Amino acid sequence: MKQYLYVFRGGRAAYQDQSPEEMQAHMERWGSWMQKISAIGHPLQEEGKVVAKAGEVVTDGPFTEGKEVVGGYVAISAEDIDQAVEMSKECPIFEYEGTVEVREIIEM
Amino acid sequence: MSEMNANQLIDHFFRTEYGKAVSHLTNRFGSENLELAEDAVQDTLIKAMQTWPFGQVPDNPTGWILRVASNRMIDQLRRLQKQTNEEIPELSEDLVEDVSLTDINDDMVRMMFACCHPTLSAEYQIILTLKILGGLSIREISTSLLKKEETIAKAYTRAKKKFKDDEIKLILPPANEVENRLEMVLKIVYLLFNEGYKTAEGKTLIREDLCAEAMRLNAVLLETELCSTPSAYALMALMCFHSSRFGARVDEHGEIISLEDQDRTKWSNELILTGQRYLQQATDTDAVKDYVIQAAISSYHCNAASFEETRWDEILRLYDVQLQINPSPVIRLNRVVPMEKVHGSMLAYSEIEELEETGFFDTYYLFYAIKGGILQNLGGLQESTIALKKAISLTKNERELTYLNKKLTELSS
Repeated sequence: MKQYLYVFRGGRAAYQDQSPEEMQAHMERWGSWMQKISAIGHPLQEEGKVVAKAGEVVTDGPFTEGKEVVGGYVAISAEDIDQAVEMSKECPIFEYEGTVEVREIIEM
Repeated sequence: MSEMNANQLIDHFFRTEYGKAVSHLTNRFGSENLELAEDAVQDTLIKAMQTWPFGQVPDNPTGWILRVASNRMIDQLRRLQKQTNEEIPELSEDLVEDVSLTDINDDMVRMMFACCHPTLSAEYQIILTLKILGGLSIREISTSLLKKEETIAKAYTRAKKKFKDDEIKLILPPANEVENRLEMVLKIVYLLFNEGYKTAEGKTLIREDLCAEAMRLNAVLLETELCSTPSAYALMALMCFHSSRFGARVDEHGEIISLEDQDRTKWSNELILTGQRYLQQATDTDAVKDYVIQAAISSYHCNAASFEETRWDEILRLYDVQLQINPSPVIRLNRVVPMEKVHGSMLAYSEIEELEETGFFDTYYLFYAIKGGILQNLGGLQESTIALKKAISLTKNERELTYLNKKLTELSS
């Protein structure tokens, strides 16, 4: 088994119009999916800092476009990249046009 | 962290928390900040949705939502404070720790009185109640009330403006007004229930969510001493009795089954018993209230082994009492049914004729459906057919139509 990282991007813009009932349903699908694939990871705060030139330049950010914002990441185990991609297909982020970036974690 | 995962929360948790949190924040920071409170709670639920699935639900999810929403609101108010140099009272962040469930319940009761404030129209009262206390979105409200989303959105904006312009505060009415003001709140609660239950227009006969919401709000009222009146208990009983028939009211094709033909084993015993308990509390005092009578009538229906074995004499007696306190043609019409059972079709028909002369029911399909039924019992097939056809021409509800057409076919065979 290899380890893969899922990076979740976007999907946030449409949340504002959701009703509490819809949000709970969406959250429940996330919970079930994460359990099913035994994902371990964290959500990320929307606001942060971008540090450049060894701290000479520190800016608020990343302030990328909504669809680029990283909302969180998890690690999962899969046989290969194909299986890792397959497992990501049920991610509820696609209900709101977000994306999942799938990357293999290199064992050191 | 609790042992609970994000997919193990109780049903409608977010929706009910929305009403609690918005009521609490609005009560704390003033009704002029209603909109800010709504935004803060919405953002908080989004945050919960985004974070809870990564781990587990906080030990006290209600407390978590209140704390996060409250902090968010304080941030927003401070930001506005800087812009306007206005003083905003009590921006202490730790206040929320002291909030008890009783406090939250009181906040909701205050909010109910505010949403059902007498200066607001019934339409505004319903929309405000559903949006703020019910936690329904504009889209959900429009679906449940069978109106266009745009119409509801506009009405909500206007309702909120009126709420603000009239400076409606989240205060309990003074003792001498409680009874009248509570009547208005109960009226809205029952309207919500009936919106969910009624058969006018649309494809879904029972929109159970609205019914459940109305019962939840009524339960909130009963948690406070101020609102634990015979009327409030009786309305709760009445809604329990009506809900007990949910499972028997339509068949597998979605067609209406009349009370007479319902399979009574499908009625919910649990809800009937719960209703009985509430009715008992309503009748502990001798107050003769409209809802108490309605609930008592419903109770006789719920406890009858069959349609024929119903205590029509008792029901008729209750209608007589109801007519005395509220002499309305609709009650007279409803009374015709037990009247026919007790005194026969002839007398019932003369009452129908009298009612028809008032002109009050010219466009009311149910009047003609009842008239048709009585005429059929009197053997007047032709007249009965005419009445049924008139009833059919007056309803738009597909299920009512199917039901009436079936009756019509039975008549001609």
